[in-house]
Parts: sequence; structure tokens; C-alpha cells
Amino acid sequence: MTALAWRSLRHRPRAGIATFLAVLLGTLLIGSFATLAESAAGAPAPDDGTLVILGAVVGGWGAAIVLFSVASTVGITTTQRAEEIGLLRTIGATPRQARRLIAREAAAISFAGAGLGAVGAAIAGRLLFDLVRGGGLVSGRTEYGGGPVSVAGAALLVLVVSAIAAAIAARRATRGPAGVLARDSAAERGRMRWWRIAIALLLIGYGLAMAVVTVTVTAHDDDPYAAMSTSGSSSILVGLGLAVLAPVLLRWGAGPVRLLAGTSATAHLAAYNTARRSHLLGGVLAPVVVLTAAAVGTLMLVDIDRRTLPDGTADSDTITLLNNVVVGMISLFAAIMVVNAFVAMLAHRHDELRRLRLLGATPRQVRSSVAAEAAVVAAVGVATGAVAALTTVVPFAVARDEGVVPDGGLWLAPVVAAAVAVLTVGAARGAVRSAVRDAAGRPATASAR
Amino acid sequence: MTAIALEVHELTRTFGSGDTVVSALAGIDLAFRRGSFTAVMGPSGSGKSTFLACAAGLDRPTSGRVLVGGTDVTDWDEERRTRLRRERIGFVFQGFHLLPYLTAAQNVALPSRLAGRRADRGRVGALLDRVGLADRGHHLPGSLSGGQQQRVAIARALLTEPDVLLADEPTGALDSTTAGQVLRVLRDSVTDLGQTVVMVTHDPVAASYADEVVFLVDGRIGGRMAQPTADAVAGQMAHLDELVTAR
Repeated sequence: MTALAWRSLRHRPRAGIATFLAVLLGTLLIGSFATLAESAAGAPAPDDGTLVILGAVVGGWGAAIVLFSVASTVGITTTQRAEEIGLLRTIGATPRQARRLIAREAAAISFAGAGLGAVGAAIAGRLLFDLVRGGGLVSGRTEYGGGPVSVAGAALLVLVVSAIAAAIAARRATRGPAGVLARDSAAERGRMRWWRIAIALLLIGYGLAMAVVTVTVTAHDDDPYAAMSTSGSSSILVGLGLAVLAPVLLRWGAGPVRLLAGTSATAHLAAYNTARRSHLLGGVLAPVVVLTAAAVGTLMLVDIDRRTLPDGTADSDTITLLNNVVVGMISLFAAIMVVNAFVAMLAHRHDELRRLRLLGATPRQVRSSVAAEAAVVAAVGVATGAVAALTTVVPFAVARDEGVVPDGGLWLAPVVAAAVAVLTVGAARGAVRSAVRDAAGRPATASAR
Repeated sequence: MTAIALEVHELTRTFGSGDTVVSALAGIDLAFRRGSFTAVMGPSGSGKSTFLACAAGLDRPTSGRVLVGGTDVTDWDEERRTRLRRERIGFVFQGFHLLPYLTAAQNVALPSRLAGRRADRGRVGALLDRVGLADRGHHLPGSLSGGQQQRVAIARALLTEPDVLLADEPTGALDSTTAGQVLRVLRDSVTDLGQTVVMVTHDPVAASYADEVVFLVDGRIGGRMAQPTADAVAGQMAHLDELVTAR
């Protein structure tokens, strides 16, 4: 089975690379912030508190998002192998063997990714510490204390999550009877599992509760940052919650496109693909939602803070840096995940894209149908993310006496939205270009099969 | 309209170069009358699939001409050949090639959609009715059996009233009962609609539904048989296999 896993990997490098990158970057991110928390152990007060907050807050948020995206990448790549797994089972592989194949493959990729990520995190952690100390957030007396514990811990955490994600996806892929042809039809209504809805509601409910607390309680606190501490995370929480519901959102979002499609073949194909394969494209939508929610929410939060508290307090620098780091980190990561998810998804749609070509779709039609799918994802994601961002922006604006609508910085939302949309569609275009080129390469082999 | 739906002249196709050159088609002349049903048969490696790919504009022949409905399409570029496939050639594949996220009716209407037109609902319904799936229009391929999926694919291939319907082992993935249904649908499209069908197969029973069988051996025409029966075709195939093995 291990030998088979390696061969299978060599055969599908793109899907492997997607998982590898997600694990690598995830470990790098969580690991480098974990070293800050570890450095706190040997630091004098009040530096130890600052380091713990930086490490725990930023690292914690990073962890939530990283784990989420690692899980969704592993999920996408495994779900798409239903056909191969069906084939293995028809020739006598037991469901257990098939699951082990998937688990070993995921483990091999994740080990490589996490290992490299841990090495990177040890270096990045030191650079991050220098940055924090250089910025005056901690005093010069405090030394870097990050060691193997924090880095290895981060790697282990990511490994465990990718293993769990692979196990869940493998179970789904091996459920039901063995068969090859029936599995080809990756279109299913994809009912939401109850636990997924429960997680989503929990996250959204928690985010909304924090928003309410901001308006009713912390807005009246003497510390101007009390309101920020309660409202700041709402957009990310609600964004994550909505991202968990991504397939449902896509099905809703595809409806209007269907009505507007007219005679356009590309819009027609895109509308039905997003609606009927929402469980696949949901993996792309999720990071788009989180990216928009986090970026709009946090940037507008910082903007309101800057306007209403021009002189700042003793903590202002740390807090602003913290916010910017969170937003920068989440944006970078989510952006990579969007690209990653598209590549992983399209790598396995070769057959389908080639099918379209054989039936008389021009390369341009195939490309633009995928771009149109991306546009649907971008539109739904940006709209959903913007709604999630409101849960941070509105309570904080109210708390700082600007009213429901902030006094300025409203341009931030459309700018972020446009950037996210460009990124999403651009990622799809880039990914599909290579996929179509391969698909049309030698179409004769398609009929010779 | 010419009386010939599809013809190839001196068609050759070689793969590789130098010492490893393989000649898949070594000069083939064939013409398919409008409203005829022809089976193309031959042992593995005889050039059946290459012939079909060249005729459909999927592959470029090394030399020779391909005429679809009297028009020489050999030198057309990819863009024009794509339009040719969409508008003048119907395709039925062994693996059905339906799009999993479109319903049966939407799959049938797809060629029209790709050409930028909305398909006539009545026509799609009539075609589904013709292949015996009038009540399955709203089903996704995943909930249809193999034979049903292949009949949807045939309805799709008939949508544009193509010059020629090319079928590549259309019953290769089906059991004999459902294969019979699929072949009857193909046969009826010839008899009732005057459709031209060229089918590559290695199944003598499938070939017996055709008006004529053309045998390919080593990229050349190795014989013909009019009004074929399954037994006669099987006998001829066994004979051809012996010829190939003997060399």
C-alpha cells in the first residue's frame, strides 16, 4: 500500500503540491508565533505578557484559519479521487486498505510539509522576534527563547489536523458499494452534516454575542480598547462560521446567475456547476469569505480607532501592530489558499474539461466557464465576507460614538472586495490555462481509450 | 446536400519518427452514404480509433483528405474543427461523456448551448422521448444507469442533426440487454430519421445492427460485408485475427 501511495502521488503532483503547501505554510505560520509565546517564559514583566498575547492571539487565530484550510485542501484532493478509489475497490481492495492508502499519502505529504515548515518557523520566529523588539514592543533585555518545543508542537498540531481531515474524507470516499462508473458523477446535492451546521452556528452565534457585548457593555468601559477586544474578533468568527456553510451559500448564489445566463454557454455551465458541485467549490469559497471578512473588518476597525483616538494610549502601538499583523497574515494565507484550492480542484477536472472540448466547446469557452465559476465564487464570497465584517465594524463604530455607519474609511470595503475578486478570478484563470492546455494536448487518446 | 455524408481519401496517420515509426492508418478510402449505418471492425491496433479521431477532426491525418458533407475539412484550424464537431458531427463515446452536473435534458441541449443558442425545449423532449427517456429529463447522470446515460448521449449527438454520427465502442461498457437497447436507438435513428451512423466496435452482435461492416487490418481495409449477421461477422473476425497472428 505504501508503494502504491507513492506511485499514486507521483501521478498527481499538483494535488499533492496543494496539500504540501497548505501544511508547509500552516506550520510556518503557527510555529513562528508559537516561538514568541515560548520566549515569554524567560522574559521579564511586562514583556512576558506582551509576548504571550502576540503569540497566543495571533498564533491562535492563525491556527484556526490554517487548520481550517489544511482540512479543506486535504478534503478536496481526497474527494476528487473517488473514481480511483472505486477502481481499487472493484479489483479487491477493502475499504480499510483504500482508507489506509489515502491516510499514508496524506501523512507522507504532511510530514514533508510540516518538517520543512518547522525549519522555516525556527528561522522566521527569530526574525519575527527581532521585528517585535525592534518595534519597541518588548524591551532590549528580553532575549529570543524559542526552541524546538514550540516549533515541533506547531508541526504536530498541523499533522494531527491533516490526518483527521484525511480520515474523514477517506471514510466518505469509501462509503457505499465499490464501483467505477457510478462514482464519476461527482454531482450530488451534498446535504450538510448536522455537526457542520452546529459548528457554523456556534461560531456565528459567538461572534454575534461578542458584537452585542460590545454595544451593551464594553462600549461604556473606561479603557477605550475594551470595545476593541470584544468586537475585533467578531468578523473573523462570523466569517469562519459562514465559510463552514460555504456549499449552501454557493447554491443560493448560483440561482440568480442561472436566471441571468441567457444564451451564454459559459454562464449556463458555471451556474449549474457551482450549484450542483457546491461541495467542491465550497472549498474555494471558504477562504474567500474569511479573507474578505478579516480584511474589511480589521482594517476598518483600525481606521475607526485611529480617527477616534488620535493621540492613542500607551498600548496603541502594540495594538495597531497586532491588528495589522493579524490582517496581513490572514490575508496572505487566505490568498494562497484561494490559489491553492483552485489548482487542486482543476487538477482533477481534466476529464471533464476535455469532455467539453470533444463536444465542441472552444478552448475559450472552457476557460471562460471556469472564470465564470470563479466570478460566482468571488461575488458570493465578497458579499458574505462583507456581511460578516459588519459584525465588527458596526458595534465598534457605535462604541466609539460614530454611530452605526463609521464617519470615514468606507472606501476600504470596496477596495478590499475588488482586490479579493481580482485575486479569485485571476487564480482560476491561471489554474485553468494549464489544465486546458493539457486537456486539448492529444484529444485522440480520449477516444482511443 | 451531397449523397455522401463522410468520406476519406488516401488517409494515412503515422505516429513516432525514425526507427520507431508506427503506421496506424496506411491509406484508407471510404465513403459513407447518407442514411447508412456502417460498423468499422478490426483486431486491436488495426487503426479503428485513429480512423474515427481523424474523421472527427480530433486528430490530424499525416496525409489524405477528410470530407464532411462534401466539405474538405482536412486543413481547418482548431477553431473551425471545434465548430465542426459541435455542429456537423455527433459523438457517442464508450464512456458516455455526460457532464455530471447537468440534467439529462441539459446534457442533450449542450451542443446548442455551446453554439450560443438556447435549445428548443420541444426538440430536446422529443429526442429524449425517442431514446425512451421522456420521464428522465430532470435526472442527473449519476442517478441513471449506464444504458440510460448512453441513450442520453445519443439524444445529445442527434440534437444538431449532424452530417454523421460517430460512435466509438458505444456498447463497450454495457451488458448485452442494455447494449441491445442502445443499438436499437442507433438503428432507429438511421431508419426513421435518415441519420448517418459510423460505429467502431469489436462486438459482432453490435455490428449486426449495421447495414454494412468494414474490416480494418493493420491500417488497411481488409474486407467488407453487407447485411451482416453476428455469426458471419464473428467468423470473419476470427479469420482476421489468425491473419494477424500468423505474421
